[in-house]
Amino acid sequence: MQKLQSSDNSGTRATRRGGHGRLVASTAALSALGLLAAAAGAAAANRPARSSSHASVTTITWEASPISTSGPDLRKVLIADFERAYPNIKVQLISAPTNTDTNESQLETQISGGSSSPDVFMGDVIWPAVFGAHGLAVPLSTKLPKSFFARFAPGLVAGATYQGKVYAAPFFEDQGFLYYRKDLLSKMHLPVPKTWEELKAESLQLQRAKLVKYGFVWEGADYEGATCDFMEYLTDAGGKVLSSNGKSSTLNTPAAVKALTFMRSLVTSGVTPAAITTYQEPQAMNTFDNGQAAFLRNWDYAYSASQSAGSKVIGDVGVAPLPTFQGQSYPGYSNIGGWNLYINPHTKNMSQDLTFINYMTGVDAEHVMATQFSEIPTNEAVRVQKSVIAVNPVLATVPHTRLVARPSQTPEYPKVSQAIYQNVNEALAGSESPAKAIANASAGINTALSGGGL
Amino acid sequence: MARTRVRKGWHRYLNGVTISTTAVAIFVLLPIYWLIVTSFKTPGAVGDNPPQYFPNPLSLTNYQVAFSQYTFGRYIVNSAIIAVIATFLVLGIGTVAGYALGRLPMRGKYPILLVLLMISVFPEVAVVAPLYLLLRDIGWLNSYQALIFPYTAFNLPFAIWILRNYMLGIPKEMEETARIDGASPLKTVWSVILPQALPGLFTAGIFTFTACWTEFLMALTFNSSNNYRTIPVGIALFGSQFTVPYGTIFAASVVSVVPIAILVLVFRKSVVSGLTSGAVKG
Amino acid sequence: MAALGVVPSTPAADRASSSPPAGKHDVNRKRLARLGWSFSTPAFVVIGAFTIFPIGFSVAMSLSHVSVSGSGFSLNGFTGHNYSILVHAAQWRYALGFTVVYTIVTVLVEVILGTCIALVLERLTKGRGLMMALLLVPWSMITVISAELWGYIYDASYGVLDQIFKALGLGQPIFLGTPTPSIVAMMVADIWKTTPFVAIIVLAGLVMLPEELYEAAEMDGASGWTTFWRVTFPLLRPTIALAVLFRVLQAFGLFDLPFVLTQGGPGYSTTSLAVLGYQVMFQDLNFGPGAAVATSTAVLVLIGCLLFLRVFKAQVGEEGS
Repeated sequence: MQKLQSSDNSGTRATRRGGHGRLVASTAALSALGLLAAAAGAAAANRPARSSSHASVTTITWEASPISTSGPDLRKVLIADFERAYPNIKVQLISAPTNTDTNESQLETQISGGSSSPDVFMGDVIWPAVFGAHGLAVPLSTKLPKSFFARFAPGLVAGATYQGKVYAAPFFEDQGFLYYRKDLLSKMHLPVPKTWEELKAESLQLQRAKLVKYGFVWEGADYEGATCDFMEYLTDAGGKVLSSNGKSSTLNTPAAVKALTFMRSLVTSGVTPAAITTYQEPQAMNTFDNGQAAFLRNWDYAYSASQSAGSKVIGDVGVAPLPTFQGQSYPGYSNIGGWNLYINPHTKNMSQDLTFINYMTGVDAEHVMATQFSEIPTNEAVRVQKSVIAVNPVLATVPHTRLVARPSQTPEYPKVSQAIYQNVNEALAGSESPAKAIANASAGINTALSGGGL
Repeated sequence: MARTRVRKGWHRYLNGVTISTTAVAIFVLLPIYWLIVTSFKTPGAVGDNPPQYFPNPLSLTNYQVAFSQYTFGRYIVNSAIIAVIATFLVLGIGTVAGYALGRLPMRGKYPILLVLLMISVFPEVAVVAPLYLLLRDIGWLNSYQALIFPYTAFNLPFAIWILRNYMLGIPKEMEETARIDGASPLKTVWSVILPQALPGLFTAGIFTFTACWTEFLMALTFNSSNNYRTIPVGIALFGSQFTVPYGTIFAASVVSVVPIAILVLVFRKSVVSGLTSGAVKG
Repeated sequence: MAALGVVPSTPAADRASSSPPAGKHDVNRKRLARLGWSFSTPAFVVIGAFTIFPIGFSVAMSLSHVSVSGSGFSLNGFTGHNYSILVHAAQWRYALGFTVVYTIVTVLVEVILGTCIALVLERLTKGRGLMMALLLVPWSMITVISAELWGYIYDASYGVLDQIFKALGLGQPIFLGTPTPSIVAMMVADIWKTTPFVAIIVLAGLVMLPEELYEAAEMDGASGWTTFWRVTFPLLRPTIALAVLFRVLQAFGLFDLPFVLTQGGPGYSTTSLAVLGYQVMFQDLNFGPGAAVATSTAVLVLIGCLLFLRVFKAQVGEEGS
């Protein structure tokens, strides 16, 4: 019995050994290939790609997320221009993730880990306090003269300041605009609305005439964008989030409740779809592009997006500053967005970094950004240039808008913003009354500012 | 004959089950259909409301954009290199360790197995920051080894468990016979145990490969350079701050699923037989 | 115990451990033990180098006051303060409850559905391989991509599911706007992705079952359902137990899906323990409590695993103690 078993086993063993042999061969081949590749990779990585030993040429690394969606890459175009102007400095581009939060946490991990790369990084306008408080960015005001900061549009430098030091150089700016369907407005002989109440009334008119499905789409999902939108209504109504010393919340006011009540009324009246609680920029843009909304509140990219292939509203879109509440002076406030340039405190190429920043925020680079890529320049001189104003309706509208920043002057800003957008979102969904939502938000802000909670 | 009788007895029961499981099969395949179909729409048509149920016109723009504008091809190569090497390392190191912990009299093997289990359940999120510091100190950031070795280390415990489980089911006289033939322990493992444990190897291999192929957090943190980026991180770069180019993302996804789908199709017998033999034999 | 001794084993002692004279046995055991250690050392070295330090550092962070700055991490003191923050934080308590409930529900549904699928597949003779390969495709998809796909399907503006609901006259629900629908939507996406995997594990177990059992049941006149419940299921238990173990381990570490699909929202309704840990550590730069979240999660999972293994010891293939 046992003998039969063993011969059985040896038989199977033999066949298995055959297949076994093939497995071995392929394992060896693949491992060898893999190890070769790893070695090549290691060798490539060890090849000095950064500060070379040549005294003349230095390479700095610039980390930035993709800016332009189609056509030539804005970052590469500017780098090429810079390298032409400064042949001694080469710039290596590192592409950052498009998701702002992932981008931020990756940078925080790298810099707090002591990495000297990237030398310069492009960061959101709401990061200066967080990065400054944790020593993750160089205070530029200690490295650059005051005259440097004079070139920027008013309000932008304040946004990059924390405790008296400026941590970033505004690179390109963004703000909220009102986009409208000029074909629909002209059909019904309606003017471009200057107040929110007017906008709501016109939307209802258009919807009743069955010309459009929704009146007004914007961003109301449970994310940072809702804070941006809310800031606009809040400031229009006369409210404020933080006290002047930034230590406590001044949110809980009738003005804030008025603002939020209006936002909720847009949903209850049907002007805005109930799904606004899930709308971020892509959804709002998509609804507008599909011709399903008469008005859109979005950032500057929305104009070119609405005029690109696949959109159903090509040629029908107008741009205007945002409306305000009745009784306030026009125009309403637009929330500031956009991106700044920061320097890594561990950088080994400080002077080259400063040169780079100086160029990128200078007239030439900003002009290219505006005219070729339709980005809103932060350089004041460029903003008012005739050639820039002529680029598209968005840039023509920029000189006529009023700006308000988010309350990002505190390192606890992420939690402050969260208190705002979570409660705004709940009010929009109808799970909280606007008054309750504002009260909760205010309480949440105070908890955040005192450093409490998880 | 017993088979037909069983089938008849099962038959009535089977019908209700068949219908519902056919429904489930459709449930499984429909999203995949949607994924593939969307990848072939023109970028403008991706956002249509109501959506196109079949692309009209069919377009390869998304694929072109993924590969030319976003250098997706390089990400595939990087992912493949890292996943393949890590898998082979795990299998090589894990097989001998699994053998030792399963069939050799080692003192303290149960505590060791427990520690291994503990390591494999520790959330990745907490480990990324310290690991980054470690890799930076060794100078391994932005390289293949930055991911290969952590992946190997974190997948080994699980693989050892699977391999050990599988080896427990091998009859004990295998080694005795080899011993009688005068084989050294290493040779015993190589020529006697390994062939028997092959399905277990395939199981551990596929698990490890898939884990490496799909890992996101470490790949994002350690390999920020475009030359070493892997697929999940590459996809995170598609679009810009306010646009999510679903068409391009899905085109890239289709391409990255195809190799695994082929692997699975080719090795399906081994995968299936390897998955639970150890457990059933006990 | 495997005995690589020179003494030939008798037929009667095929599977039992043979017992050569005491002296030789001890020497043998020691030699084998040393061999075992040398075989396992490479694994221990690799694992130790890349896991012990990070895990240890994390645990240390969870037990001290951590501050992060440009010059790195600094750990101060030895305190349970981080853990007390956790216990007092509604968010953490919610995340814990949510993760547990999520795990239970999804694993339960997946096991039931997976078993049903496996039962049907077992009957297929021709297309089985192809069917299995097709079923493994969702499982082999990168989780991030699967989450994007479902995000696209559920979307209020782009989504196809809304259109389907409208066509069926079920209104136009908002899937990701409020807590309960979001949780359900996420579960559906998870179940979609992993049920096939469970089905295949159960199928493998089913295929191993000997036919004689069915014959015996038939002869006893058992109906289909009784056969399944009395005969098949008890034998399938170890297979299912293994599938459940894998899945529970995975489900507890739930990260990619909520991170991409809902970002833990609305509010914190879909924030699992892993997502909470990420948010606290990387978005709030609060590494102490964040590490506490991670460490406590690991401990909880470990306890669960140990309990599970104790119950299913025999079936999951431990060597007879």
